[in-house]
Amino acid sequence: MTEKKVGIINRCLPHGSAQGRESLDLTLAMSAFNESLSLFFINDGVYQLLDGHSPEETLQKHYQPLFKMLEMYDVENIYVCEASLKQRSLSSKMLLIDVTLLDKQGLQQKFALQDQLLSF
Amino acid sequence: MDEQKVKFSIVVSGAPYGSQSASTAYQFCASALLAGHEISGVFFYQEGVLNASQLVSPATDEINLPDFWAALAVQYNFPLEVCVSASLRRGVVDPQEAQQLSLEQFNLKAPFVLSGLGQLAELSARCDRLVQF
Repeated sequence: MTEKKVGIINRCLPHGSAQGRESLDLTLAMSAFNESLSLFFINDGVYQLLDGHSPEETLQKHYQPLFKMLEMYDVENIYVCEASLKQRSLSSKMLLIDVTLLDKQGLQQKFALQDQLLSF
Repeated sequence: MDEQKVKFSIVVSGAPYGSQSASTAYQFCASALLAGHEISGVFFYQEGVLNASQLVSPATDEINLPDFWAALAVQYNFPLEVCVSASLRRGVVDPQEAQQLSLEQFNLKAPFVLSGLGQLAELSARCDRLVQF
């Protein structure tokens, strides 16, 4: 049986809810069992990768350093919506890990390749 | 032509009360089973872990979703897996964890079981369709 391609979509701001953190927890845990994971950051989800947060000031866990573990866990397909960055005056240089930027068509193609999608 | 039987794995991300996510997930499971499909298992994550609390006590004229899940799982013999780390953060605890953490109470409802995210990977691998609510 071939391994299923699982896409994990991140759409939310990093600290107003636990969505981002629980998505990352899930990603790191699943990466031990599945080597065909792809991560997507779209809309406000792109803020999760923006460097330099200090969420402890609002009693939230600083989970962003865990994004650096993705490389160690061999999660290499990390896609960011280019338009979402632009709309927020962000650039890939401001992000804390290396990502692949995709336009709308590129995202649609990658989504279509996935066997399963989980959305946070 | 035989209708194709589909093996579903389900992810529930919403609490039993306050959002529609878990009720819709329950109805989906019940309908799929009635139509002859199979549920490999249900994985409760995020606020979904609250479906596993035996302390959920809605008014008598309202439905008790944890009871519904338990009855459906027993009738059709599929597992109700609850993410342990998401559960402990939200105060859903089984007897073993209560003992280990020196808590005075536990509240995990049978037949829900606490398990890890690895179990979700397993459910994802052995289904035809993974559906998240």
